[in-house]
Amino acid sequence: MSLSPLIRKILLVDLIKGLKVTFDYQKPSEAITEQYPLERPVVYERYRGLPRLKVDPEKGNSMCIVCNLCALACPEQLIVVKGERNPVTKRKEPVSWSYDLSRCMFCGLCAEACSTDALELTQDFEIAFYTREGMVLDQAALETGHEPKRYEK
Amino acid sequence: MLDAITKYLNTRGTPGEAGSMLWATIYILIITIGISLAVIAMNWLERKILAHMQIRLGPMRVGPHGLLQPFADALKLLIKEDIIPENADKLVFWSAPVVVTMTAFTTFLVVPFGREHAVTDMNIGILFMLGISSLGVLGIIMAGWSSNSHYPLMGSLRSSAQMVSYEVAMGLAIVCAVLMTSLQTGTGTLSMIGIVQAQAQQHTWFIFKFFPLGFLAFAIFAIAMVAETNRAPFDLPEAESELVAGFHTEYSGFRWSLFFLAEYAAMLAVSSIAVTLWLGGWMRPFPHWLHGPIWDLAFSFLPALTLLVLCELCLVGAARMPKIPQMKIQTIGLGLFGLLLGFAGLVLLLPGVRERVQDIYWFTVKIAFFMYLYIWYRGTFPRYRFDQLMKVGWKVLLPTGLGVLIATAIWGLLPQISSAILGVLP
Repeated sequence: MSLSPLIRKILLVDLIKGLKVTFDYQKPSEAITEQYPLERPVVYERYRGLPRLKVDPEKGNSMCIVCNLCALACPEQLIVVKGERNPVTKRKEPVSWSYDLSRCMFCGLCAEACSTDALELTQDFEIAFYTREGMVLDQAALETGHEPKRYEK
Repeated sequence: MLDAITKYLNTRGTPGEAGSMLWATIYILIITIGISLAVIAMNWLERKILAHMQIRLGPMRVGPHGLLQPFADALKLLIKEDIIPENADKLVFWSAPVVVTMTAFTTFLVVPFGREHAVTDMNIGILFMLGISSLGVLGIIMAGWSSNSHYPLMGSLRSSAQMVSYEVAMGLAIVCAVLMTSLQTGTGTLSMIGIVQAQAQQHTWFIFKFFPLGFLAFAIFAIAMVAETNRAPFDLPEAESELVAGFHTEYSGFRWSLFFLAEYAAMLAVSSIAVTLWLGGWMRPFPHWLHGPIWDLAFSFLPALTLLVLCELCLVGAARMPKIPQMKIQTIGLGLFGLLLGFAGLVLLLPGVRERVQDIYWFTVKIAFFMYLYIWYRGTFPRYRFDQLMKVGWKVLLPTGLGVLIATAIWGLLPQISSAILGVLP
């Protein structure tokens, strides 16, 4: 376009260009809005969400060996693990787990530190709770993961 | 009863011409309801189209594709608490929305939706419309002043300054169109119906007349009408970032919804002025080029066809709804709405109805085009600064309008001038 600025102004060239841009956007299929409860977003592969404690799928016991590395790695010191040695299997097993999600910043250092890959941060992003107390997860909550309430009419 | 109706329908004139009070009342009722429905539809369309322009979806939850959203909003506004500020001037505060709404609706008295589809054919129609719509400023100033608050006052003063300055350019553009009715034929008219008939006689829409003069006058009007209705990009009176909501900041609930109604009715009114003056009013495209019984028949099927296409869209939409229990009622609702539209479309296929709705259909289509433009502007242009707004109004539109007016007059007089010169010459 080599029109002089004055002619561009008189012919409203820039305004018409702008109108064309907005006109071209109007395909409803191109909308980036998600219909959230009906249509769930796909989170990124390395998204760090709700923590989960893995259970050995074959034996059914917790994979955590209470090495306390996660608690040491946590910059917020929100993980408290207590355990005792099982006399039969000679394995240390967790007795009480506490993970204070309200203070968690999802840095993922605990999952990195875990020596048995028992602790991981899942892709679950629906981590709203009704109370502050409810945000302190115990072992059962960490193992089952909390079920978000499905959207119903 | 039926005889009375058919007898009236055969007179082929506006109720005003027929001198029938009853039919005038019926027309006024129909127009009031029609405008309200148009405002509701416009509300939904604006949110949808604007959302799509901004790559959003817009309302989706209330009804299929948010079709019931305006009704939900209206219900919410009606049952909202009605707040009048303690230090407000109660009487003025109460009457301001009434004044604004009344003026916005009164203008439709002279709008010709068709040759016989107007409440009355006033011989000063366009003047009446301008005068009444200018009265709306009074309501806005009343609202701003009586709220006893800074933002509404600022908003209403801005609004009145803007409306007054753009009315001048608008008036000049309108005078151009009125001049065109008199030029070459010698019978000028201010009547809205007369203006459309003049376009029919001269075999052209005034936008194409004296090219580019008609187009320039139309462009001036098209810019001024956006400013006149306080819409984006000239929506300074309600600039959210500066004035909260402008003159209706203190209004809530039903009173606020009256302002909303008035704003959209005013948009429809100025669009109908533009359609009447420059786009041939109720005339279908190419009435003289594509004339003859076959073309008439083909064009008379269009209204029904439009409704049937809408019906088909609804049914396809219903078929493509997500197949989950939560969406069942919405799917059925959309399907029924589609069937209703289809039924209306079939009714419009009847020979008697077909010919009578032609005018209304084309008038509505042309107005819809302007409404789309309003939304399009809002989705595209950033808001003007106030000094820029005044500059555009006084330094650009007003001189251009004067120039176009003079040029139109001279062009129209050319045949007489040339014949006079030829007469003087030996």
